Formats: sequence, structure tokens, C-alpha cells
Amino acid sequence: MEDTIFGSRFFLSPHDGGSMLDFGSHKTASCSGSSRRAFIRTAAAVPAMMSTGLPALAEIEEARRRAKAKSVILLWLWGGPSHLDMVDPKPDAPDDFRGPFGTIATKTTGMHFTELLPRMAARSDRFSVIRSMQTTNGGHPGAGTVGVTGFEEKPGPVQPNFGAIVAKHRGQQEALPPFFYVGRGIPRDLPRRIEGYGGGTLGKAYDPFLVHCSERGDISIPTLKMLPNMSPNRIEDRRTLERALDVERYRLDSAEIERWGQTYQSAYGLLTDEKAREAFDLTRESKKTRSSYGQTTFGQGCLLARRLAQAGVPYIQVNWSEYVETFTPNGDFGWDTHIYNFELLQDRHCPIFDRAYSALLDDLHDSGMLDDTLLVAMGEFGRTPKISVRASREHWQHCYFSLWAGAGVEPGRCIGESDAKAEYPVSQPITPLMTGTTMLELCGIGAKERAEMKVLDGGSIINELF
Amino acid sequence: MSFSRRGAPAGCGVARSVDVTRSDAPTALIVLRFWCVMCSLLVTVSAFAGEPVQLTQDGSLKRDPRFIDGGRAVAYCYDETPALVRMMKISLIDRIPQPVFADAADKHHYEPAFSPNGKWISFTACTGNLSGKLVIRNLESGEQADITHKGRGGTRSPTFSPDSKRVIYAFAEKGPQQLWSVKTDGTDKRQLTTCSGVSNWPTFTPDGRTIVFSNSREKNYEIYSVGSDGSGERRLTNNTLMDIRPAVSPDGRKIAFVSTRTGNYDVFVMNIDGSDVQQITTSEERDDYPNWHPNGEQLVIVSERDGAFDLYLIDASQGRTVAGR
Repeated sequence: MEDTIFGSRFFLSPHDGGSMLDFGSHKTASCSGSSRRAFIRTAAAVPAMMSTGLPALAEIEEARRRAKAKSVILLWLWGGPSHLDMVDPKPDAPDDFRGPFGTIATKTTGMHFTELLPRMAARSDRFSVIRSMQTTNGGHPGAGTVGVTGFEEKPGPVQPNFGAIVAKHRGQQEALPPFFYVGRGIPRDLPRRIEGYGGGTLGKAYDPFLVHCSERGDISIPTLKMLPNMSPNRIEDRRTLERALDVERYRLDSAEIERWGQTYQSAYGLLTDEKAREAFDLTRESKKTRSSYGQTTFGQGCLLARRLAQAGVPYIQVNWSEYVETFTPNGDFGWDTHIYNFELLQDRHCPIFDRAYSALLDDLHDSGMLDDTLLVAMGEFGRTPKISVRASREHWQHCYFSLWAGAGVEPGRCIGESDAKAEYPVSQPITPLMTGTTMLELCGIGAKERAEMKVLDGGSIINELF
Repeated sequence: MSFSRRGAPAGCGVARSVDVTRSDAPTALIVLRFWCVMCSLLVTVSAFAGEPVQLTQDGSLKRDPRFIDGGRAVAYCYDETPALVRMMKISLIDRIPQPVFADAADKHHYEPAFSPNGKWISFTACTGNLSGKLVIRNLESGEQADITHKGRGGTRSPTFSPDSKRVIYAFAEKGPQQLWSVKTDGTDKRQLTTCSGVSNWPTFTPDGRTIVFSNSREKNYEIYSVGSDGSGERRLTNNTLMDIRPAVSPDGRKIAFVSTRTGNYDVFVMNIDGSDVQQITTSEERDDYPNWHPNGEQLVIVSERDGAFDLYLIDASQGRTVAGR
């Protein structure tokens, strides 16, 4: 079910980095074949393209111009969620592929989810699904770096996280840092952390600022744990803070003080700033709003992300977990479901995600923030379509999904298509480099700015989103 | 399989009840027991009145509630932290949660099952990265058998046979997940089923002659019954969405289960032959993990209310008949 009209690259330079010529690089497909909009656009565009190419490109350009993101919220589903068991079910695939879950209709014609995501199915007219994601790396830290930077790890500094690029572009306007991680720590697996977590080649100044939100909405800032008995609630003013620091200076040597560096200065700075303190205070939300997200760390983390976006933070990455491992002592239930895939998706992961994502979507929509907030949800890869001998699924980088909403993204679309077993895309694969490029473009970081910062070289935009 | 000894449980309800009912128990204890029974009665009467009785208050993610101590307490698992699942128990009387096991390091346990004779507990334990083993532990001595299989993987959903001699559980060793059986001392491990699809949540009828379980061969989980000798399999549910976690009532006449046929996880009860399906919960939020009270009239479930997960005691008889199976 492909629109092969866009199959060739005859008017595309893969390294243009620009916003116009990448239009021809993708095949367009939808769950029920080519989308009506894509068909109309294609039909309308082809004659014009054959002559000048301008009208259709102008339409895309106009849509893109309208689409502007003040903030990006990335829900990072760390560990690799199973695409078949969530948004790309294959009920007619053989027994050893399809999995045990029934399917339900969504509000998008021809698109079905599994029964594990009923709230999202009822809201599919507010977001679009890409089913043809593909990445280059099948290991967690490596694929994680590709997922949030667009590039493989290399010796030396890695490419910057998309959030770090936005942080550099926007700069720190007020007390709130421009790039937040909401979660328990830097995403990692048991052996090591993800290299692409922060500033990379742009420098550590653009690393994310880490904030943890408990299932009850209590905020903790790991940087502050370096000071005993100090919590956000105890820092009432700068004088309190300075007293605490004075005490610590006697205890620590100058090298240690230096190591705290910019991070703790930011922490204390924002905690003594009224606007920042307000952003962290989830009790300012109604009980109804707080409960709609669910009493889980991810749910309340999503609510915190919404408040940070509301306060003007341009990039917030909400990490599902710190560890990818889903079933390991002291692990925090990532999406890496090598065992108990079906049980954990059904009992824990999908109900939590379904609720939190839907609440965030509703919240952004109802508050009017969805117009200028980009909400993206994805992991670093998918999971093997063929069920393992342990009745679970392993890593699968060849086909997975991402979810897009807001900031001018056309909702209610199913973009890209996987084959009958969800093993490979049958439409043009969409890569992390393209997701990053699209995010940045919506943040106003165009080809020129990207070239100046030497980031996302060769990236193209996912035009089907507009 | 290995055999080791662990610390005795922290006043595990099953063992404690034996002490209190001894004929030489002091008068004060008898009075205390009478008071406890009355309080327990009050709680169950409240549930009979149709109103769910909320047993826990913390709202943390919970799962796998099981009545213990003759129905006077409930064991369950909950997220103590984002990275720690602990097995707890709560008395219906004082409703103060406390760990099932005294040793704080005795953690990361799921899906507890208690033997009908009160002597054993079985559960799935997280023992390492991507490794879950089945534990069968003697509640009095602390001795335990660890049931493992080759390679990595995890056991699921243990349940005891009515004679308390064997544990049935689910495990995928070489392909589709099957039901297995093992003696409580860890010997005589056998694969019971050879089904396609995923098999899970075995439960016995009280006479031990029938096993009820879920299997996904029909493109989603359906509930089946089969003779304990493997004969006479019968499909009990028939719809396009999941029917999971069957639990046979103490009198063997009903099956409580969970289905998403209403659009979210709800609790249902049907006759043992699959007829007369009744919807017990109707909330738009999740209701899950039903377990029968020994009186056969009530269920303890995990309900999500306003985004918080807590244990509730509900009346199993006040359902609404629904069409189809």
C-alpha cells in the first residue's frame, strides 16, 4: 500500500538539510492504503512538479511555517516497546508472531491498536502514528544515542541530544534551564549509560537538568542530594540556601565545590526563583488533573513536563525509566521485555502509558498548549515480531513506531506501513535523524541554523506529518 | 532445582491463625479473637451491602491480592519504590499493611499462592537480570524449593492443587508458554499442556478434577477448562478481547475473571460451565486481579480510582448479566 509516486529521489539531495527538497524522499502510506490527503496532495502535486515543482512544495512550506513549537515534550520509552503489542498489531499473522492481544478500532479510519491502549485509541484523532520507524543499532545504549541524537556513537564526544541543540538555540531565558530530563537518572542499561544523553559536541553546558518526580508528585533534584537535609521545600530564600552552602564549604574541599559547578548553581538558582518553584509545584493542579495522569512516576512526570512547558522550558524529555531492564533486581521496569513481555505490557506498562499519554494529550489540548507544544513518544527500537522461545520478544531495530502530536502536526494519521508480520517497513523507513530534524525544524532551527551549529547533517523532514 | 532454607515469615497470617485458635490460648486471646472476628464480620457485611470496602489507602501500584488467614487478611504485592516490589499483607481488621516476610532483603516477589492446608507459599521471584524462578516455601520452617528451567526466563502464576501436594504454573521453555506441574518439594517437574498460543493463570476446581486457565490460540486470551488428566478441554469464553485471570470460587460453581470487553479492565463472574456471565465492576478505570473470599460471596480486587491503585472488597453476587460469553 504505497504511494510510489514519491518513491524516487530524483529531486532530492539527501544531504541538503533544507526544508524544501526533501519532500520527494518518502513514500506515503497509511493503514488503509494511501491517505486521502496524501493522495490529493500527490495528485495535485505531480503535474505541477513535472513543470516547476513549486505549488505542492509551497503547500508543505506553508503548513510547516504555521507549525511552530515553543516546547517539545519527548516521552522516551526506554528499553524498546513492542510495536506489535501496542500500535501496530497483526492479528492475521501466524501464531508465533501475532501475540495474545485482541485489537480495537481507533478514531483513525483503518487503524487498529491492541486492546491495551483503549484511551489512546479513543483519542487517535489528536495524534499521528508512524509505523515505519527504523534505526541502525540493535543495542540499548547505542540505539538510545541514535534515537536522541540521530547518529551512532563514535570515539570522542557524540553528537548532541536534540534537547541540547534546542537549549543552545534558545538559550537560558530565565531561571529555568532550557533542557530538562524528568526521570530517575540518565537512561542506561546495567553495563553503561546512554552516551547521547546531553550536550555532546556542543559541550556539557547543554547537558539536561535532571528532575525526578515521584508517583505522588513530589519533586526531587539529584544535584541537591549532595547537601544533606536539603530539599526544595527547605529552600525558602537565597539566604537559607547560602547558609546551607556555607556549612558545606567547611565540609568539602574546593575541588568538590568546583565539581558541583554550573549544575548546582542552576539548581539553587531555580529553586529560589518564584516562577521556577511554581513550575515544580504539582499541588497547584486540581486533584482531577493530577489523578488523570495516574499515581505513577511516569504519569506525574508527564504532568511535571506539561508544567515545565507551560513555564517556557523549550525541551523536556520524560524518561520512562532509568534502566532498560524490565525484570531485574532494583531495575525500574523499562520496556526491555525479554521475559514477561505479554504479562508486563498488560499488567503494568501499557495501562500506565495509555493513561498518562492520554491525560497529557487532553491537558495540552484543553489548555490550548497543543497548538505550540510538540509531543513525541518513542523508544530506541521495537521488538522482534517473532515470539521468542521464552514467550517474549527481543530487540528489533528494523521496524518500530513513534507518536506525534501538536505544534502543527496533522493529527489522526497513520504514517508508514509495516509488512504482514511487522518485520520491516514497506514504505520508506523513517529514521531517528529525521525525527530529530523534524523536531528542530518545528522549534525554528532550520537548515541554516543546523548547519551553523554543525548538527543533524543530512537530516530531512517527515513531511507526512504536515 | 535447588533446596534451601529462608527465614520464617513475619507472622504470616496462615501460621498465626493456628496459634490463636489453640485450646490453651489465654482468655484475653480468646476475647481478642472474638473482637477480631466481629470486626472482620463488620467489614464483610459492609461489602455485602453493595458498597466496595477500600482496604488500602496508599494508592501505589498493586497486584495479586490473595485472601489468607481464613479470609481475615489479604496478601498482595505492591511497588514500594519504582524499583522494588514487595509482598505485603493487610488484616481486614486493623488494616495496617506489613511485609509478609520479616527479612527486608526477601523482596521482588510476585503472584503469591498459598496452599489450601496453610503450609506452603509459592511465588515468582526476581533473582537476577531477566530471571524469574518459582519458589515453593514452607511457611513454618522457611525451607524452600527453587524451581528453575534451563536458560533465562520466568515462571508465572503458580497455584496449588487442592491436596496441597503440587504446584501448577506457566512457563515457556522451548516455545509456546505451557502449564507445568511440580511437587512441593521441587521434584517431579512435568509439562502438562502442549497448546499453541500463550497459556497462563491456571486454577483448580476444589475437587481437583479440573484446571481452568487462559490461552491465546484464538487470537486473544480465552478461558478454558480441562480435566487435570488433560482430557475434555472446553472453551468457556468467546469474544474478541481478553478474558484472563480466572479464579474458581470456593464452592467450585463460579469463575471470576477479568475482561476488557467493556473497553477497560473489568471483573466478571460466570458459571463454571461459562454460562450466565455477569459484569461485577463498571468503573471506567481499571478493576483487576479478583480473588475469592473463603465465604464464596465476595472478591478482593485491585481497583484504580482517580489514578490510585488500592485493594477493595466487593460483593460478587451483585452483577449485571451480559449477553454472550
